[in-house]
Amino acid sequence: MFPAGQGKSVDRNRLHLRALLPVFLLLMLCCSDLCAASRIDYVTQIKPILVERCYACHGVLKQQGKLRVDTAEFLKQGGKHGAGLLAGNPDESRLIERVSARAEDERMPPEGEPLKPEQIALIKLWVAQGAKAPANEKPEADPKDHWAFKAPLRPEVPKVKSREWAQNPIDAFIAAGHQQQGLKPQGLAEKSLWLRRVYLDLIGLPPSLQEMRDFEADNSAQAYEKVVDRLLASPQYGERWGRHFMDIWRYTDWYGLGEQLRYSQKHLWHWRDWIVESLNKDKGYDRMVLEMLAGDEIAPTDRDTLRATGFLARNYYLFNRTTWLDDVVEHTSKAFLGITMNCAKCHDHKYDPVTAKDYYAWRAFFEPYHVRLDELPGEPDLEKNGLPRAYDVHLDTPTYLFVRGDEKHPDKSKEIAPMVPVIFKLRALEIKPVDLPPEGYNPALSADIYQNHLTQAQSQLKEARAALEKAREKAAEVEKLIENTKGKALVPLLKHQDDFRNPNTALWHKIGGEWRYEADGLNQTETGSQRRMLRSQMDHPADFRAKFRFKITGGEKWKSTGFSFDADDAHDVLVYLSAHSSSKLQVAISENGKSSYPSQGAFNRPVKTGIAYELDIYVQGRQLTILMDGEEALSFELPSRRPGRFQLVTFDASAEFQDFALYELPADFVRTPVDGEARRTASKLALATANQNLFVAERRLTALQSARQADEARFAGVKTDDLTALLKRAATDAVAWKIAEGEALDAKHKEDSALLEGKKKTDASKKYQTAKMAISKELGRFKNSTTNYFQLRGSLKALEGPDETEEHRELPFPATSTGRRTALAEWIANEQNPLTARVAVNHLWLRHFGQPLVPTVMDFGRRGAAPTHPELLDWLATEFMASGWSMKHMHRLMVLSRTYRLSSSNADAPKASLAKDAENKYYWRMNPVRMEAQALRDSLLQLAGQLDLTMGGPTINPEKEDTVFRRSLYFTHSKEDVHKFLETFDNANVLECYRRPESVLPQQALALSNSKLSMVAAGKLTEIFLKNSGTASDDGFIRVAYQSILAVEPNKAELEACGEALLELRSLAEKQGQADPVKRARAGLVHALFNHNDFITVR
Amino acid sequence: MNDFSSYLRRKQPVLSRRSFLGDIGMGFSSIALASLLKQDGYATEAWAPPTGQPHFPPKAKSVIWLFMRGGVSHMESFDPKPELTKYAGKTIGETPYKSVQDPDKLKKVRVVVVNDANGKQRNVIYPLQTGFRKAGQSGIEVSDFFPHLRESVDDLAIIRSMWTTDDNHGAQVQFHSGRHMLDGRFPTIGAWVNYGLGSLNENLPQFINMGPRFFDARDGHYLGPAYDAVPLKIDPKAPLDFAKPESDITGAEQAAEFALLGKLNRFSAVKYPQDPNLLARIKAYELAFRMQAAVPEVIKFDAESESVKKLYGLDDAATKPFGMQLLAARRFAERGVRFIQIQHGDGAAGAWDAHSGLKNNHTKLAREVDKPIAGLLQDLKQRGMLEDTMVVFATEFGRTPGSQGADGRDHHPYGFSVWMAGGGIKGGIAHGSTDELGFHATEHPHYVTDVHATIMHQLGLDSRKLEVPGRKRLDVDHGHVIQDILA
Repeated sequence: MFPAGQGKSVDRNRLHLRALLPVFLLLMLCCSDLCAASRIDYVTQIKPILVERCYACHGVLKQQGKLRVDTAEFLKQGGKHGAGLLAGNPDESRLIERVSARAEDERMPPEGEPLKPEQIALIKLWVAQGAKAPANEKPEADPKDHWAFKAPLRPEVPKVKSREWAQNPIDAFIAAGHQQQGLKPQGLAEKSLWLRRVYLDLIGLPPSLQEMRDFEADNSAQAYEKVVDRLLASPQYGERWGRHFMDIWRYTDWYGLGEQLRYSQKHLWHWRDWIVESLNKDKGYDRMVLEMLAGDEIAPTDRDTLRATGFLARNYYLFNRTTWLDDVVEHTSKAFLGITMNCAKCHDHKYDPVTAKDYYAWRAFFEPYHVRLDELPGEPDLEKNGLPRAYDVHLDTPTYLFVRGDEKHPDKSKEIAPMVPVIFKLRALEIKPVDLPPEGYNPALSADIYQNHLTQAQSQLKEARAALEKAREKAAEVEKLIENTKGKALVPLLKHQDDFRNPNTALWHKIGGEWRYEADGLNQTETGSQRRMLRSQMDHPADFRAKFRFKITGGEKWKSTGFSFDADDAHDVLVYLSAHSSSKLQVAISENGKSSYPSQGAFNRPVKTGIAYELDIYVQGRQLTILMDGEEALSFELPSRRPGRFQLVTFDASAEFQDFALYELPADFVRTPVDGEARRTASKLALATANQNLFVAERRLTALQSARQADEARFAGVKTDDLTALLKRAATDAVAWKIAEGEALDAKHKEDSALLEGKKKTDASKKYQTAKMAISKELGRFKNSTTNYFQLRGSLKALEGPDETEEHRELPFPATSTGRRTALAEWIANEQNPLTARVAVNHLWLRHFGQPLVPTVMDFGRRGAAPTHPELLDWLATEFMASGWSMKHMHRLMVLSRTYRLSSSNADAPKASLAKDAENKYYWRMNPVRMEAQALRDSLLQLAGQLDLTMGGPTINPEKEDTVFRRSLYFTHSKEDVHKFLETFDNANVLECYRRPESVLPQQALALSNSKLSMVAAGKLTEIFLKNSGTASDDGFIRVAYQSILAVEPNKAELEACGEALLELRSLAEKQGQADPVKRARAGLVHALFNHNDFITVR
Repeated sequence: MNDFSSYLRRKQPVLSRRSFLGDIGMGFSSIALASLLKQDGYATEAWAPPTGQPHFPPKAKSVIWLFMRGGVSHMESFDPKPELTKYAGKTIGETPYKSVQDPDKLKKVRVVVVNDANGKQRNVIYPLQTGFRKAGQSGIEVSDFFPHLRESVDDLAIIRSMWTTDDNHGAQVQFHSGRHMLDGRFPTIGAWVNYGLGSLNENLPQFINMGPRFFDARDGHYLGPAYDAVPLKIDPKAPLDFAKPESDITGAEQAAEFALLGKLNRFSAVKYPQDPNLLARIKAYELAFRMQAAVPEVIKFDAESESVKKLYGLDDAATKPFGMQLLAARRFAERGVRFIQIQHGDGAAGAWDAHSGLKNNHTKLAREVDKPIAGLLQDLKQRGMLEDTMVVFATEFGRTPGSQGADGRDHHPYGFSVWMAGGGIKGGIAHGSTDELGFHATEHPHYVTDVHATIMHQLGLDSRKLEVPGRKRLDVDHGHVIQDILA
């Protein structure tokens, strides 16, 4: 509600003006209408005001001050303060006095805006005219008598004459309705249409052509049952119906702002997998409710069951606990019970017997609960995987009623205990706290979670050993290098040089190309895929250095320019830069005229045209080293060497060469002079760090092992003395580990200080300081303590607000759970509960028959709509419970009914039926239903043979929609992660989706006709058809396409239209010079059928 | 209360003429809404969906809605407060205006994010970061951040006395839907206009959005997805999702397929007579086909003269992106699109959210929008379109008179400014005011829905006649027309 008073404070001026209005109105009425004896009509003019503004407190629900106003008679009688009105005398009527009172605490109604002046004037006039009302006015019905608040009794199945309609109880109820309404049901849908209907309905995928033919051919009595049993047994059933329940239960993956998790939880897909698996196992609906609300209490260490509490983890909200719990209250009551509890947040419910106190009593069931992420075996990193789940942590947090729903104004005078609304109370609710097994509140005690940590510690140890080994080798290498380079020559000898100012024919001859000497150097301007070269007149020395500067100025595609050596007409080694869009430095080797481009000889780096680059190339024996602009870029070992010329090369590039020099390298040449002492120091420091790191890894493993022993002992009830010793040892080991970590940091710091410079050095130093502080803090915790040790967590508590720190997450979890949620779940999933089964079967019915029996699927209250078939609803509800809450049993009953087999067509329907029940409330035909977004995408992929039926697992980024062909329910789905195609077809709103809208929008036409999805699927399906026989002629092709895509035979007109279109499409394809015009035209036809209304519609 | 958004579907009576004229821009759901509500017993027989006709003679035809995401400082744009410079560095308590912080006056704000670092009282007065100058015949002062708009001030009705109740960026939702985030989600003003008014162009959607969205991409809410804004990009190649075939299919081939499809669907209408969804789908495909051609044409500016392009700042990299959206907006308005929603300032909370470096932030962002908006007003005027096109400049809240950190201002819901122009709005007036510190809206305070009420009124709509049964709207949802700014 919008807080009352806000509007008022700003509207004072306006109100004063308005205050004059009633006087004016009354004057007007008195002089004209009253005198003209225009009568105020109680039923149409007065009663609606009373209903709207007064019934909530003075109707059958509450009768405050013993006053009821739901009949004029009651109003006259009044309550404990006397008569409500005095007929004929408005000035002496309490009703008028109270509604027009100036003082806010006097005025009625106490909440919301005051009555409008014109409303008050009307009431006055009515009283003045004698407060007349119809004599037979009925009081409001007692809420206790509301149909949905009374447990369903199993009604007798109506006797139906027609044998066809008497087989299935559902049909009997429906046929009785037909008889009563005088409606004649339509005929049955074609067999193939029924098959498509039931496939899409039960598994969300269309049948294959073969499956249709098999079914057509099966004339046995069990043909229909066989199909239904097969579909219900298929794993795809759980995916299809899992998605329905994900709608109702508001599945959403986590989202927030950037990295900040604000809503839901990471890895919530575990809950989705639980839903799918539970449905496939036909787990009882009652059990599902129990596991979702209280899985952590009834099976505290069973991870499979814990997944169910994702239902509660989904509601996590970082910022505001009340918003969070409001969502839980609203949606537990709507989803399971069809009760709009949310209306009672600020004031008592206006229509249903739910008070504001009931609202907070419902909240109290959830007050203790919070959310955490448990580690799973094999994955210690909770970012990668983990189990989001509920648990009780605020065991003693009181629940208070918030005055007018304002969390800033809790009524602390009274703590509110968990309770269900009185009217629904079946018996005293038994809330028993649950003692959790140690693994339930300390998940790291599980052997497999300990194993996670052990593996981690062991692999750290392994890595540390390997690192140490490497550091030792490196140190030895340094020593060797120092030894080897002692007294070696360092100076290359210049052999050739060219500054490209003038032609130098003594040095070069050209092979192809257009070469010109210009002011800045030598330009080669011919492009195209052929080499243009300057080749040396003489061989180069075996060991040499070539250094040159050049610019690539253009080219068509490859834009490659470089230097080659060991060259003759059929061989060389070429080093070049390419300014191609994936630019690089590359070594290419030509042997007998064939070039190879080894991947070790490639180095991706930005190369642009118009920028000068310098390549400096050292060749010593088989060792090739390339420096680019002074920086070492590539080292490469040549497979072989041969004597030869050297050349400047362009390949599809225009280039400008600016200078060139070639040196001979002495036999003992080393490129980089070695500062022996500096290297020695560095390697020693690195060795020290590696040594320390190994020490840390060893200490960590020890600390982990002794922590484990302490943990085990603690929870196994080991004798105190022994336990003390174990705890002490664990603490000592933890301290040793932390000290080692500190020393390792010191070592690294020493290394960095000696070797790094500038910003890197300051950064490293800062990092060191922070890490050091963190360690000393941890040390502080472990040191001198007998109880604090390096305890394994195995679980991470979700933050309770943005300002919580990591430390808050480390508080131990309670060893008990309040049992409140178990009590609530047992009350909900109880056969005595009048609502649960009814609400559930209504959801099932809606999804099978396209419309629900109770139209307001989340509101079975007094304000909700009445069921169209109350007996059928109750029969279904009782049948559901009697079957052990088996959903598969209900599906079977529904889809095997005759009602479900009816045609969805209106054609040839008796005029009487159309006139009487155009909306088909009485199911005299089947309702056509539009495919949901997921079914649509999955069907396209299935028909195209592309669908990947891999089940379960982490969600898929919607951006991968064109490459991942898994079923649509596996895409990440949140307010932030939107799958464009699915969204266009009314994908589930994650905030609330008890029923999906079925819009018809032009954007959908665009999506279905233009998307890659439908285009590719059309092509693939056409290929499948072409492979199969019977599609040689256009006619045959059209028939097969119609059957596969729409599950019907085309009629003559359709055949003709399709045939003409094929001809036209073919001639268009021919005109474009398409390779296979027939195939292209046929793909066009398939694509058009995908856009046919009867494809997206389940007929 | 109950949620009917999930009900907008299925089995309608045969479509009336209104359904095609009224719904053509966006979809076919209002009929569904109607029949459904009746079927569910929420609507009486007497209730009917809007006819698509205005309820009384309208002054305006289209709305161009410019929303600056993040919160523009009112004191540094349209509501000069020299006292801030005078008392700079002092706490509010040390000024003569300390009563602005009386607890009673601060009550209306509702907090979503508890312990949020933002949305706090900022006590140390921060001086104005820009100058002000009078302009036009009206002599209204506008800040130096908006020199071009200042020249158009005689066309503007500046409302200096806005207030809202959300102290965080949920106020963006609030400004569009009228309700606080904590109340749930409700249709936005654009969705209501789209719902209430019929189409003026059979080839274009009637409610479009350009630029980033605010938090909520569903504008229609319980009115249904048919009333969500269609998101458009200024990219003739891909102006809307799935605008072009993602394959090498040619136009001629596509036309042949569409022709076949039209035929086949009509054959199907014989098998399934009186199926409103089928009829709606046939129409939807026809509209989609036309839209596919019409939308790119609107956002191609080849036909616009160089001088017009300059007017919108298309020749300057800083003003070009927003300028293109505004030029497109004019072209859409010209073609009868009802509600063109343009949001400026990307980023999670919105770019104008100047918690620090306000001067740099507002200098840069104001430069991006100032010239294009002034250009739009001028262009509309010279084409005679300003008479029936409303331009609204809004933002979710203002910014605190006190400083946040060294050089920023925090969120401030108690008082801020918006302006309107065209479509029968009086030009050259400054309506309402805040106190000397710019803290509270004092004279003629207006809640955000008063802006909605004024728009509806100018479009000839009575929001009370657009009630949806079972969806009670509060008085505050309807707002009050700001009579003083009507011409």
